Amino acid sequence: MKARLVLFLFFLFSYAVSQAQESTVTGTVTNAEDNMPVPGVNVLIKGTTRGTSTDFDGKYSITAKSDEILEFSYVGFKKQSFTVGSQTVVNVTLQNDIESLSEIVVIGYGTQKRSEVTGAISSIKSEELLKQPALNATQSIQGKLSGVNIVNSDAPGAVPKVVIRGVGTASAGEQVLYIVDGIQVTGITNINPADIETMDVLKDASSTAIYGMDAANGVVIITTKKGKKGQTKIELSSFYGAKTILNQVRMADANQYVTYFNENQTAIGGDNSYQLAPASQQPANTDWYDALIDVGFSNSNNVALSGAGDMSSYYFSFNNYNEDGILKDQDLSRNTLRLNNTFNFFDNKLKITSSISGAFTKSTPKPFGAFNEAYRQAPIVPVFYPDGHFGTNDVNRTTGVQGFLAGLGETIGGLNSVGNPVANVFFSNNKNKATDLQGIIEAELKITDFLKFTSRVGMTKAYGRERVFNDIRGRYVVAGDPVSDTDQQFQNLQDANPNNTQYANNSLRYTMTENFSYNWDNFLSFDKTFNEKHTIGALAGITKGKRDDFYFAETTAYGVPSQEQYWSIEFANGNYDNVSTQRFSTYTTQLSYFGRLQYNYDGKYLAQVNIRRDGVSTFKDNAEYFGNFPSFSLGWVLTEENFLKDVNGLDFLKLRGGWGEVGNSRVPFNQFRFNTNSGSNNVNYVFGVNQDFVLGASLGAQVFPISWEVTEETNIGLEFRMLDSRLAGSVDLYDRRTNDAILQVRPVLNSPNDANFFDSGADITNKGVEVELNWRDDINDNLSYNIGVVYSYNKNNVENVKPAYDGQIGGSLNNGQITKRLQDGQPLYAWWMYEAEGVWQNQAEIDNNPRVGSPKPGHLRYKDQNDDGVIDDRDKKFFGSYLPTYNLGLTLGLNYKNIDFSVDAFGAGGNKIYNGLKGTRIDGGENITADVFNERWTGEGSTNVNPGANRDAIASSYYLEDGDYLRINNMTLGYTLKNVIPDISRIRLYLTVQNPFLFTNYSGFTPELVGNEDGAPEERAGIELSAYPNTKTFLFGVNIEL
Amino acid sequence: MKINIKKISLLLATLIVIVGCDEDYLEVDSRDDIEFEDSGEVVTPEEMVTGVYGRFTGFSYAFSYLGVSEIISDNSDKGSSPGDTGGDKNLLDDLTHTTSSSSIRAMWEEWYKSIGRATIAIDYTQNYENYDANLKSRLIGEAKFLRALHYFWLVRSFGDVPIQEVDLVERAPESEVYAYIINDLQDAISALPVKSSYAPKDVGRATKGSAQGLLAKVYLYQENWQAAYDAANEVIASNQYDLHPNYAEIWRASTENGMESLFEIQGRGETINHGIQQYSQTQGARGSTGWGWGFNTPSENLLNAFDAAGDDVRRDATIIFRGETLWDGRVVGETENPMYNEKAYSSLNVGDGDGDKNIRVLRYAEILLIQAEAATHINQDAATPLNLVRERVGLAPIAAPTVQQIWNERRLELAMEHDRWFDLNRTGQAAAAMAADGKTFVNGKHELFPIPNDQLIQTPEMVQNPGW
Repeated sequence: MKARLVLFLFFLFSYAVSQAQESTVTGTVTNAEDNMPVPGVNVLIKGTTRGTSTDFDGKYSITAKSDEILEFSYVGFKKQSFTVGSQTVVNVTLQNDIESLSEIVVIGYGTQKRSEVTGAISSIKSEELLKQPALNATQSIQGKLSGVNIVNSDAPGAVPKVVIRGVGTASAGEQVLYIVDGIQVTGITNINPADIETMDVLKDASSTAIYGMDAANGVVIITTKKGKKGQTKIELSSFYGAKTILNQVRMADANQYVTYFNENQTAIGGDNSYQLAPASQQPANTDWYDALIDVGFSNSNNVALSGAGDMSSYYFSFNNYNEDGILKDQDLSRNTLRLNNTFNFFDNKLKITSSISGAFTKSTPKPFGAFNEAYRQAPIVPVFYPDGHFGTNDVNRTTGVQGFLAGLGETIGGLNSVGNPVANVFFSNNKNKATDLQGIIEAELKITDFLKFTSRVGMTKAYGRERVFNDIRGRYVVAGDPVSDTDQQFQNLQDANPNNTQYANNSLRYTMTENFSYNWDNFLSFDKTFNEKHTIGALAGITKGKRDDFYFAETTAYGVPSQEQYWSIEFANGNYDNVSTQRFSTYTTQLSYFGRLQYNYDGKYLAQVNIRRDGVSTFKDNAEYFGNFPSFSLGWVLTEENFLKDVNGLDFLKLRGGWGEVGNSRVPFNQFRFNTNSGSNNVNYVFGVNQDFVLGASLGAQVFPISWEVTEETNIGLEFRMLDSRLAGSVDLYDRRTNDAILQVRPVLNSPNDANFFDSGADITNKGVEVELNWRDDINDNLSYNIGVVYSYNKNNVENVKPAYDGQIGGSLNNGQITKRLQDGQPLYAWWMYEAEGVWQNQAEIDNNPRVGSPKPGHLRYKDQNDDGVIDDRDKKFFGSYLPTYNLGLTLGLNYKNIDFSVDAFGAGGNKIYNGLKGTRIDGGENITADVFNERWTGEGSTNVNPGANRDAIASSYYLEDGDYLRINNMTLGYTLKNVIPDISRIRLYLTVQNPFLFTNYSGFTPELVGNEDGAPEERAGIELSAYPNTKTFLFGVNIEL
Repeated sequence: MKINIKKISLLLATLIVIVGCDEDYLEVDSRDDIEFEDSGEVVTPEEMVTGVYGRFTGFSYAFSYLGVSEIISDNSDKGSSPGDTGGDKNLLDDLTHTTSSSSIRAMWEEWYKSIGRATIAIDYTQNYENYDANLKSRLIGEAKFLRALHYFWLVRSFGDVPIQEVDLVERAPESEVYAYIINDLQDAISALPVKSSYAPKDVGRATKGSAQGLLAKVYLYQENWQAAYDAANEVIASNQYDLHPNYAEIWRASTENGMESLFEIQGRGETINHGIQQYSQTQGARGSTGWGWGFNTPSENLLNAFDAAGDDVRRDATIIFRGETLWDGRVVGETENPMYNEKAYSSLNVGDGDGDKNIRVLRYAEILLIQAEAATHINQDAATPLNLVRERVGLAPIAAPTVQQIWNERRLELAMEHDRWFDLNRTGQAAAAMAADGKTFVNGKHELFPIPNDQLIQTPEMVQNPGW
């Protein structure tokens, strides 16, 4: 009931009693959207200073003459007027004013009306974000904004990969720039999505150039919530959810596995091959995914309290978020706190704003490699042996029965080289903690009506702690041959090697990290209208900042007591040396000057010019280390012209276009050095009769001067609203080119230098189209609906590759096979491999045709693209990009009385993805999917598409599949109760299913494959080897407003 | 109130000045890497030359090199398990290698990178100040020998090849490459000391004899018989070398850098171990009783050649047989393959990653055989040098040897010593030998390896060899 007290206090402040005179008019002001009373509405008698405001029940009372006009106004709503006449009761329903509130767009160092924006900016509001609950708000915007491609992983704590208008760099940083309440940060995992008011994505260079050297990958601006005038609002929201794997792939069972295994062994032949006994004699028929995967639970509780008076506003929130993974014991929990305040001083001339937040995260990660192992481990291996040991890949080769039991003269071997995934998860014992503190203070001083000065400081400090405990003894004891006394064996080894950490009971590693960054912005902004038609805006400022000030310390110790409470370095066994390391990063400082000029003629002709001059410490060795990034854009609101002004059904039409240059300062560097090494390395040699070890040296990588990458972009767009604003939308065309992108170059094979180096060497282009359409209609007071479509298409291409820099390879499958290549005229690191064309049916066919190696019947055959009778790298073909060329988002919303229903879908495609799980087999004893089993080649004529049980491990187009998919990513049904329960003004109950359906032809677990190394293009992006599966989640939630 | 605003304005204006006038702010010192000028590191010419030798210890010589020198020939087979291709070793064994064969690419790159290191070391040494002039001259001599050796390996494998110091794309005619090699070797001969005058700590470095011996071999490949004969004679007349009496011991640790050795690649088997990475392991016996991967196994064809010549001594010194007991008492047991390369066997390190095995690159017996072969063409005494080699292994002397007899002798004497494939092509025996071994040798194509496809992608103007 404390809340009520607060309300009461507020009531005292805001309630004003008007003096009684002639007739008294009373009434209630409500919000048209939810029929809720609106407190704090200004009620003014036109042409006078007499007025009042509504109380917290939305009621007012004012004395007025019958010929006077009452004006009702409140921020965010359309102003309404009524002549008093003979009425004594005037009830007013306020309509949202889309123009004034929801259509303010945040641009760099300022805001702008949506209708006056001349760049390509997409925005999303709080309620849209909250529909898809997630740890990180970028997970929730998938499919909502055109040109913004989000590749998600459903692993707890995973940071989605955000790609705005295609990947424009090969070796430099690909991360998007995040601006939180004006301050540059590198990520937003520390921000509670419920605290976000708006996200504005600056997509084209004419918009982003104000952020210069940090802006090449696009800018996401986040504005957190502030208290709003009116009664104190208390919001409580909670949800509970349960999740399971969305797209489980059915694996072969024991019977199928044995058949497949034996067919392979028959094909191998020779002395070493053997056959497995029938499945009925095997100890198990394990479904490894069943054994591995748990239902994961998630829940979130959020409290927010906000409000504002004349002098100040406040917003306070607390959120507790918990999420389990689908692997046993995998979890993550985060608590966030936020306090946002504004204070006005000196007659509103000085405004101080502060945003303080803290995020405290704990997580228990588990190895994703377990998914890979669950795919590959044989179903005849039991999860546990009867004695409690973990099942192993042992097989009695003589009897063909899985297990470690062998009679006299029988031999034991390994079915495969795959571990037990359940054991892997069991023994992984990591605990991570992270603390992120962020504070922003801003002072805004109105020097005159049209001139403002702003100074803003923001700091972010992050602490991380990671604990890794490895039970070396435990692993040995259960991994070894379970018949012997492995514990005694280990003890013997330990006794014989008292200082060898390999035989310590356990190892314990602590890693501590700290990271700090800050920004300090100072700028003057000018905004004035001359002769009522010419509005000029100007901005000039300076900012300095520091980032990546990173501290790292790590200690590993051995042989701590087995009880968790003693897991401190202090209690390590003295027989072993602790290993410690500590280091600092070279931080980056930045000093920048920026300016903007805006001109608006009567809301009809719009123009904007931006310039930023950036100096970044990383380039201090360059002769000129300041870069200039200009941009301009123009807009023409055609509906303001006479010839379109009165066209029926056309409410708004704007043509806009712009050009700009932006930079990427996160480039890799070469360093001049000699290669030296103190161990067995190819710079050292052995001389002398005693063969003494002699240290040598060689020259390191070539050093080329490296500068920031520059991306140039032209954008043309059209925005419209028509049919009484029921249909709104925009279309954008863009052409983006990164000139002289930096590549990691392998030196020419016959050149003197042997180390890879970085040099600028190619242009990367992204050209595309973006469309956003929204249809919204109120059929009657009870029924309304809306439909939204977001579509984007992007074509990526590498051009003008420097001679000899072509042909860098990537996409390693970790088995010696590579799948990607960088080449002029192809998308960045396009797929490159043999084209599979059928299956060898018999030996004669193999002998009479070009082939790779010495295939057997049942192997895939590959196409001799150049018909020279030999298959080599020249016969490898490009198969396009791993990056989707199109993205599609669909939204459908329906409101009927108190019921709301919505369905969101997201799709992407036009790309290829590689099923590495299916393709990479090392020793033929790994399990396969039921489909692979059922469709396999079983002899001449059986199939000319799928290989047999005995197959090669060569990367080919056979494993490359279409990446297209459409996922229903959210279905929500809600019911709202208003003013039903005393003291609770609004309560909404809802049921949400996240990712209930996935439509795809892809045969793996998920078509969303971020890859490793933050999704670097030359790495495993687009390759499924141990990706986290997509999950579906059922959520039940409640939102309460007091 | 007004005053306050003014004061604040003034304060804020001062802030701008403070922020803006501070470009020193961008001077950030490196904290995560020690910059070279701060490292206090001094690299001497000697270290740079050591770095040239160092490349011999790379994995290429332990694996790719086996493929392009022996597995491809009639001396040996791929070995290992049927399913383990060793990358492209199966293709080389079948003579179906392609422009993308990894072994060929690896050696192409390896040799050029070694040449690069040698050239950089030569320049570095020449320009290095305050350094002993004699040492400088010797180091340059060593580097030139090494550069010549790598160019020789390149030119006999690929024919016309770019001379790296001249142009990376233009393939210099063989004759030019040979002239370049001879020039380097002559410089090396005049700069390098004879073997016995090296200090004990420098044993293993290139000597005058190394350069003279290599020069003899280079002339042999050019069919410059007189020069080959003379160069071989220089080695013989230097009195630095002799045949080791027991052939079986030539590839053992006890004879490393011994009397017969002109040049060998050094490996160390004790901590800090630094061997020719995995050379003994890749060729070690495979199977539960073995110790290695079992690649590069002596072929039936080679075994028959030994048996036909009644050459038991060299046969048993060259081949490890399944089930045999080795000279050091090791029982080989039931291995996966019937035969293994005994010349790669390290008694001390067996299958260790870094072992003590030295690869004998050039030894006195070969110099004698070079002289013998050259002698047959210029009417000199071929029998004497040839019979020295034969007599050591208990074979009857040949009074008037033919060229073919000398070639046969080379095969058996130098079996598994990475010479066979190149010798077959030098002598024009390749097509017949391959046919006898059941492979199809395409004349006009297989004499040379293809320029690796990866090189052509980088330098598309470079011309490929005929037939590829």
